[in-house]
Amino acid sequence: MTTTTSRVPLAKPASRRRRPFNPRRAGAWALLVLAIAVSVLPFLWVLRTALSTNSALASQSASLLPADFTFGAFLRVFGLQSPAEAVAEGGSGAAIDFWLYLRNSVIFSSVTTAGAVFFSAMAAYAFARLRWKGRNAVFSLFLGTMLVPPIFTALPNFLLIKNLDLLNTMLGMVLPYLFMTPFAIFFLRQFFLNMSREVEEAAMLDGAKHLRIFFQIVLPNAAAPIATLALLTFIGQWNEYFWPLLVGSQDDVRVLQVGLGVFKSQSPQGAPDWSGLMAATLVSALPVLILFAAFGKKIVNSIGFSGIK
Amino acid sequence: MKKKAIGTLAAAAAAVLALSACGGGGGSAESAKGEINYWLWDANQLPAYQQCADDFHKANPDISVKITQRGWDDYWSTLTNGFVGGTAPDVFTDHLGRYGELAKNKQLLAIDDAVKKDSIDVAGYNEGLADLWVGQDGKRYGLPKDWDTIGLFYNKAMAASAGITEDQMKNLTWNPQDGGTYEKVIAHLTVDKNGKRGDEPGFDKNNVDVYGLGLNGGGDSSGQTEWSYLTNTTGWSHTDKNPWGTHYNFDDPKFQASMEWFAGLADKGYMPKLETTVGASMADTFAAGKSAINAHGSWMIGQYTGYKGIDLGIAPTPVGPEGKRASMFNGLADSIWAGTKKKDASIKWVEYLASADCQDVVAAKAVVFPALKTSSDKAAEAFKAKGVDVTAFTEHVKNKTTFLYPITDNTAKVKGILKPAMDAVVSGKAPASSLTQANDQVNALFK
Repeated sequence: MTTTTSRVPLAKPASRRRRPFNPRRAGAWALLVLAIAVSVLPFLWVLRTALSTNSALASQSASLLPADFTFGAFLRVFGLQSPAEAVAEGGSGAAIDFWLYLRNSVIFSSVTTAGAVFFSAMAAYAFARLRWKGRNAVFSLFLGTMLVPPIFTALPNFLLIKNLDLLNTMLGMVLPYLFMTPFAIFFLRQFFLNMSREVEEAAMLDGAKHLRIFFQIVLPNAAAPIATLALLTFIGQWNEYFWPLLVGSQDDVRVLQVGLGVFKSQSPQGAPDWSGLMAATLVSALPVLILFAAFGKKIVNSIGFSGIK
Repeated sequence: MKKKAIGTLAAAAAAVLALSACGGGGGSAESAKGEINYWLWDANQLPAYQQCADDFHKANPDISVKITQRGWDDYWSTLTNGFVGGTAPDVFTDHLGRYGELAKNKQLLAIDDAVKKDSIDVAGYNEGLADLWVGQDGKRYGLPKDWDTIGLFYNKAMAASAGITEDQMKNLTWNPQDGGTYEKVIAHLTVDKNGKRGDEPGFDKNNVDVYGLGLNGGGDSSGQTEWSYLTNTTGWSHTDKNPWGTHYNFDDPKFQASMEWFAGLADKGYMPKLETTVGASMADTFAAGKSAINAHGSWMIGQYTGYKGIDLGIAPTPVGPEGKRASMFNGLADSIWAGTKKKDASIKWVEYLASADCQDVVAAKAVVFPALKTSSDKAAEAFKAKGVDVTAFTEHVKNKTTFLYPITDNTAKVKGILKPAMDAVVSGKAPASSLTQANDQVNALFK
């Protein structure tokens, strides 16, 4: 382990000789390895379960390797396995319409993310840069709504959507998230507050109105926090379960997370189709992982950069 | 305050809408064709019912059936939402523990007229099943589709190494005082970490490797797979009459003695502690070799026989003090939503589901026992052909040792009171006599 530490790229080439053993450094590394193991092991366990057959899972519960290795669970998720084959592997014979649910999930998450981020940015701008009577009171009220548990608003929202005749429509699914979230407004307001007033004043002297300032100065300068917020919102929306379950119960709007429930329980007291569930969970987590891989570094970098005011 | 008023208004509006929807769906031609939605929760039965739907469509080209399977966990909440939102399925698999309330809230369509008109012979179903679906108002809210009883799934290899013969397993006796041969077998099948059996000196009840008896949960108000197959051999029954009893009997000393014994099993180390069963599947625990006997329902046959590396035996439940075995007799049915726009088509589909044509298809797949007598014999044969001996379940019906699932009003509230009370007893936190108080609360609901 100590040899690896000496090859950290930051170290100067001249110091390539072995460093004396440093117990504190070794301790830190051990801690790091432990932390990685703790966070990665569950994923390995998910993968291992996904590659097992249900009928063998329980009797080989201690083995780290897949019990009775098969890709069956993944085939089941993609609907490529016949019910008879699924049952033979200890599955339930239930399959989900994966590609349809994936499409719904993508629409649901991206529309709500785009809407929530855009409108929240507008609201945050109003809270941060405009001066109006009662601004702080309204803002505190907004912040206060963060304390309201979502379950409280579920029923009134459901009835509203129902009375608008929007049940089982994509519009009904996205509406409650579309306009803003208090957290997003709070988050963006903090960034907008720190923007230099001189730039804004200069723009005003040049004749720019608020709309123009917002679109041409504030938004581009806040690209980093907006991207971060968008990613966070997207992940949150991707994993949203309760509202889509309430409103989107029909196939053409059912999202992946709700679809996964098929593998979870079929009959009371029956054991879940663990491998099917784990395979589906892995597959449904992929888009988010890809997003992270693609944008994660950029976001971290840009936040770091924007720190220099 | 104002918001609250608006919320109440909206709720009231929704209720009015839901009720007005019930009035629709007359005998027009529109209601006899098109696509009907059908929901069920057991994916194991999906292939059989898909086959029924295809056959039905062939015979009735005007009607097609779209089947949706939903897991049990979300089934009832989504269904209730559907009733309110107007998006409930036309026909759905219904449960005895739930239909009373649904009927009371006017969500179910009474099908008496259709049953009379199409002269459906309710005597063709296994005894008592069809009567279960006649509500308190005397109207019929479903036609039976299947039934289930309780049996003992046991690990043959463990029994053999403990020197317990198959014959012994099939002739167990039980009583609430010393547990009879049932407790002896359970104790002998329990093994601690040092390999000492439950009935040997030096047995360490705090470090048990294999439990003699698996535990599913506290069993709330019905104890279907947990304790009712024992408590009801003492002459005790859940309610004063069934269906539609108005008085629960959990204050009966006979019942409390049985529960005292049952909770004692965990205390002796023969049965897992209740808290360890939360979130775990009793069947999976059995397959992992952590329990030797599991009392479970016949709907679990597929699950238990599907495990690899387990030599499975199925024995009947033990004979009790009254000299008989006992098993809860539960059954599902298909019900029609009162708000359906395809009333006539739905009735046709329900009648088809309850007919020999469909139930024989279900029987052939050997997953559950269909409600029709003739079909359930066929299912027993299909199980036999698969190498599974199901006499432990069918004998209850043949020997009339079944009692019906307790059907009463207020089931949700009853469960709400009894679940914590029963959990406290089974986990040893409260004596069985504490159930008297819970029972008083329950009975107050019927006054």
